[in-house]
Amino acid sequence: MPTVNEQTRDGLVASLPALLALALGVFPLVVLFVESIGPSLGVGSYRKALSPLYRGALLYSVGVGVGVTGICLAVAYPVTYWLAHRCPARYRLVGLVALTLPLWLNYVVLNYAWVWLLARGGVLNRLLVGTGVLDTALDLLYTDVSMVIGFVYIYLPYVVLTMYVSMERLDYRLLQAARDLGATDWRVFVDIILPRTLPGAAAATLIVYARIAGAFATPAILGSPGNVMIARLMVQAFREYVDYGFAAALSFVFLIITLGSLALGAVSPRVRRELRRW
Amino acid sequence: MSALAAEGLRKSFGGDLAVDDVSLTLETGEFFSLIGPSGCGKTTTLRMLAGLLDPDAGTVRIDGQAVTDRPARERATNMVFQDLVLFPHMTVAGNVEYGLARDGVAKSERDERVRDALALVDLAGFGDRDPGALSGGQQQRVALARALVNDPSVLLLDEPLASLDRGLREDMRAEFRRIQRDSETTFLYVTHDQESAMSMSDRIAVMREGRIVDSGPPRRLYNRPRTRFVAEFLGDATVLSGEVQSSNGETSVVETPAGTVTTVSSGEHGAGDRVAVAVRPESVTLGEGDWAGTVVDTAYKGFYAEATVDCGGACVVVRRDRTEAPEAPGATDGQDRLFSVDEVVKLRIDRAVLVEHANG
Repeated sequence: MPTVNEQTRDGLVASLPALLALALGVFPLVVLFVESIGPSLGVGSYRKALSPLYRGALLYSVGVGVGVTGICLAVAYPVTYWLAHRCPARYRLVGLVALTLPLWLNYVVLNYAWVWLLARGGVLNRLLVGTGVLDTALDLLYTDVSMVIGFVYIYLPYVVLTMYVSMERLDYRLLQAARDLGATDWRVFVDIILPRTLPGAAAATLIVYARIAGAFATPAILGSPGNVMIARLMVQAFREYVDYGFAAALSFVFLIITLGSLALGAVSPRVRRELRRW
Repeated sequence: MSALAAEGLRKSFGGDLAVDDVSLTLETGEFFSLIGPSGCGKTTTLRMLAGLLDPDAGTVRIDGQAVTDRPARERATNMVFQDLVLFPHMTVAGNVEYGLARDGVAKSERDERVRDALALVDLAGFGDRDPGALSGGQQQRVALARALVNDPSVLLLDEPLASLDRGLREDMRAEFRRIQRDSETTFLYVTHDQESAMSMSDRIAVMREGRIVDSGPPRRLYNRPRTRFVAEFLGDATVLSGEVQSSNGETSVVETPAGTVTTVSSGEHGAGDRVAVAVRPESVTLGEGDWAGTVVDTAYKGFYAEATVDCGGACVVVRRDRTEAPEAPGATDGQDRLFSVDEVVKLRIDRAVLVEHANG
């Protein structure tokens, strides 16, 4: 039992970093909020942020976030299952490192790697045309496809790492018990693997979804010029229109939509139950 | 028709033969135990019977049907796993219901059968609980109910009592026996605990190094073990080596370093054969007889005490109950001793069994 003195001391030691963390997290948001309703406590900036022009970009950003997160999870599930339960133990670390290698590079560089790979005169097209698979080069770059590829490439390692922890904790014998009781592979996935790894999937979603929806570099480097994601509009408002109030309002709207869509996921009782365990 | 028949099962892992030519036949409604020390291949055998592991050779039949090539989900066997592996994200009822749902049983019938299964294992009303909130013994019962609910032809149990403490284990043994009778299901119980196996089983097979070395009713195995290994694995036994002096088919007279003893034998030995003789501690009478020796070691075992007696080069383990030396009121610890080292005792071997000396 710590004495009162110890408790006070612990409190003092912890309070400074805690205050700093709180200030770093909350203070900029407060400033941003004040800016968004300034200069005269109006909601004009918000009205503008919710106009059809920006609504489309918001929707598109959320859609890209959901879609890419979904693709990352769909790829990470079989990969991490294999790594955690099927891969010979001595190759496990090698496999994990290989899959998470992109984490160690600057993401702008990673994006440009795909420019080089997907451009009309890039590696992939030259390979396909050179081997006679295609007659003319494909327009892969600056499309939704190239943007999604870039996103998956950059964010998959986060999803793989998070899911791996969950997969490793999944007791393989539960799968055997389910099979023994008559479950097909699909039922084993739905009844055992999915519920047991849902916390990992939820954590992975929390980590990557908002960052993808709000990404700036990848859409700018790999995306189609016609499909504008919300981050570019925010940057435009700050830099080109120098309308800080509007930029701040747009940021806030996006923040609320992101949090709202995550909360929507938590409405499902099954997800809530799993999150509580986690 | 037998509930389960395995013929010539063989399995090796990376060149090591884990199961070597195992054949088993279980009659319907029987409680059969497969016992042996750790690593003898009993769990591997069980997993092959369940369909969780493919045998390298051999066949498995369930209710007369060949199922060797079928996966676990298509076999009429259910398994109770060593650590139970209840589904932690489902309720007790959800766990028990699982096999029925996978078999496509309608919801209303499922509910009824889950209720019956929980009643069978004495857990009526526990359906809504979280399995993690139950005691060890209750979890055992849930695992049993889950595996019994869809009426498997054979229930395979992989040392499910290993993790329980002694008192609970004894209660659960009686419960397993009762549940087996009430459910009229064939049980194949795998364990290294000979005491559990003997108290529950109709028949036992003893495995060693991948092979079945002996099988039969517990009484037969205990009283007439064929090999030294079985004699020592099933309970305590002193094994003395010796030479057959004479044999009449029913009994043999064997000369051992400790003295001459008349043994029960199967009559396959002639005079001059080198053999081994197994003596159970309870078959030795103390204080009379023509063997004599010095106590070299004693062990206090609660209601009895055990002593190792050196009878001229061969040691015999003997026991003495507390009732034979009642505690005097006010006796001190020292006076309570049933044996003391260097004490000279006489003993008589009431019953001995001639066993194979060889391994196996």
